[in-house]
Amino acid sequence: MSDEIDFDEILGKYHSDPYEYVDVRAVHTGKVHFLVEEGSQVDAVSGEWKHIPGTPLFEITRERNPKKITATTNGVVSSLCSEHEGQFVEAGEKLMTIRHPLKKKEIIEGILKEVLYIFPAPERAKYFFSLDVQSRIEKKGAREVSVKSGDEIIIMSLMKRDTPVYYNGENGVIHSVYFKPGVSVDQGAPLIGVCPADKLPLIQKVITRVKADWDKKNSTG
Amino acid sequence: MNELTLLTPSVLDDYVTSVENRRWQQINEPAGESDTIFRTGAYVGSVIHVFSSLDRAMDKARDHIAFQEKNGKPVANGSLILASSLSLSKGRFDRSWHAPPGGLWGCLILADTFLPLFRNLLPLIPGIACCEALHQEGASNASIRWVNDVLLQGKKQAGFLIEGFRSPVHGENFHLLGFGLNLNNNLFPPELMETAVSLAQVLNRPIDIYLFTLSFLAKLRYYTGLLLYEEEQWLVRGGGDDYKGEHPLIKRWKELSDTLGKRVRFGYDVVRNPQYEALVTAIASDGALVLKHDDGSTSVEHSGEIRYC
Repeated sequence: MSDEIDFDEILGKYHSDPYEYVDVRAVHTGKVHFLVEEGSQVDAVSGEWKHIPGTPLFEITRERNPKKITATTNGVVSSLCSEHEGQFVEAGEKLMTIRHPLKKKEIIEGILKEVLYIFPAPERAKYFFSLDVQSRIEKKGAREVSVKSGDEIIIMSLMKRDTPVYYNGENGVIHSVYFKPGVSVDQGAPLIGVCPADKLPLIQKVITRVKADWDKKNSTG
Repeated sequence: MNELTLLTPSVLDDYVTSVENRRWQQINEPAGESDTIFRTGAYVGSVIHVFSSLDRAMDKARDHIAFQEKNGKPVANGSLILASSLSLSKGRFDRSWHAPPGGLWGCLILADTFLPLFRNLLPLIPGIACCEALHQEGASNASIRWVNDVLLQGKKQAGFLIEGFRSPVHGENFHLLGFGLNLNNNLFPPELMETAVSLAQVLNRPIDIYLFTLSFLAKLRYYTGLLLYEEEQWLVRGGGDDYKGEHPLIKRWKELSDTLGKRVRFGYDVVRNPQYEALVTAIASDGALVLKHDDGSTSVEHSGEIRYC
C-alpha cells in the first residue's frame, strides 16, 4: 500500500459516477429467458433473515429443470444482453449489468477494499472468529489485534463441520470485519480487511476525508 | 475389564466380511457393489487405540497427530480413538456432554482427501451409521434430526461434531469426527435429564457395547466408502460443478430422518440464540435445510441447528 493516496482522484471518481456496476452472469449452462428489460428497476433480497427474494431477473433451464435467478442488489438494469434471449449459454456468460447507486458507507468500504488486504471466504458458509482472536477483540478491539500469515483466525462452520481458516495475507491489524456470526457468507466475499499497523492513520484519514467530502456535497447540493 | 480393548482392526475386518457385507448383499443393490464400497472405506478403523479414560477424545486425536509427525511417523488415515469414559467432554458451543462408563465415546481421524462438493456430506455419515445400528439393535423409532443428532423417543441418544485440524509439522488437513453415544449410561446430570436418553433406557435391557460398537464402526466404514465411491463415479462421468440426481447418502439420510415436514426453531446456536421458526419443506441436494416462513418465503440454511417445536 502506498503512503500517498490521491484523494482528489479517488473522490472525483465517485463524484462523477457514484454507482457500482454489477454484472449478472449465468449460474450454469442452460437456455435463458429474461424477466426484466433494460431500464427496469430491481430490488435486492430483503427480510430479517434475507429470506425475501429480490426481483426475478431471468430463468435458466437445464435438462427441463427451470431455475429462476433473482437480484441480490438493488438498482437499474443498465444493459441487457438480449441476444441471449431463448439461447443456450455457458456457465459464467454475462447476461446483464445492474447499476447500483452507492451510499456513503459503500463508498468508504469500496475505497477501503482498494487499500486494505482483503481476506476472502473460502466457501459459502457461516464464519466466526477463533476463540483466541475473539477474546483479544473483546478485550482490545479489532484494530488492536494483529494477524500474520499462518494464524488460525476464523472458524468456518458448514453442515455442523467446523474448520479452522488460516490467514494467508499481509501481516497487520484487523481493520474491517465484513461478516456477522451466524450469517452466511458467499464464497469469495470479504471476511476481514487487514492493514499494517503503521498505515492505520492513513486509513483513518481516508475515512475522514470521504465523510467530510460527502457531507459537504450534500449540504451544498 | 474394558471390553473395547478386544476390539482390533482385524476383528472389525472379520465383522465387516462375515456380518455387514452379507447384510448388504442381501439388500437389492448392483452385485458386488458393497464389496467395492467396503474396500474403498476399509481405512476407517485400520488403526484402533482404546483407552480406559481420556479428558477429550478430540484432544487426544490432535495430540496423536502432532506426536506422530514430530517423531517422523505417519498418521494412519482412519485411525480411531475410543475411550470408556471422558472427563472433560463437551458438545458444540461448549455445551455440557456427560460421558461416563457405559457409553461409546471416541474420535475418528480422517485425512481431508474429499473433494469440496462431497466433503459437505461428511457430517451426514455418523448420523446415518448410528441410526442404522440402533434400528438393528431393536430401536426402530430412532431418527435423525438435521444435521446429525440421533433421537430416541424425542431425546438425544447420540451426538457428533466434526472439527478441522491442520497438522503442526506437515500442514496436512484432517477432519476429526467426534462421537458420543449413550448406550448403558442411564444416569444423566440434572441439566441433561430432560433432553438425553440412553439406548438401554429405551430398550429396557443392557446393551452389548462391544457388538454395538462393531456394528456402528462397520457402518461408518461403509458410508465413508460410499462417499468416496460416489466421488469416483462422478469423476468417471466427467465431474462438473454439481452432482446430478440425488446422492445416495442424501437418500438414505431422508429415509432415516424425521426432520422433513416438521415445524422447527432455527438458530446458529439455537439453544442460546434461536433466530426464527419455520416449516422444513425439503432437504437440498447438498444437504442444506429448506425452510418455509409463515409469510410464504423460503430460506436455505447450510449451517446452524434446529429444535422441533
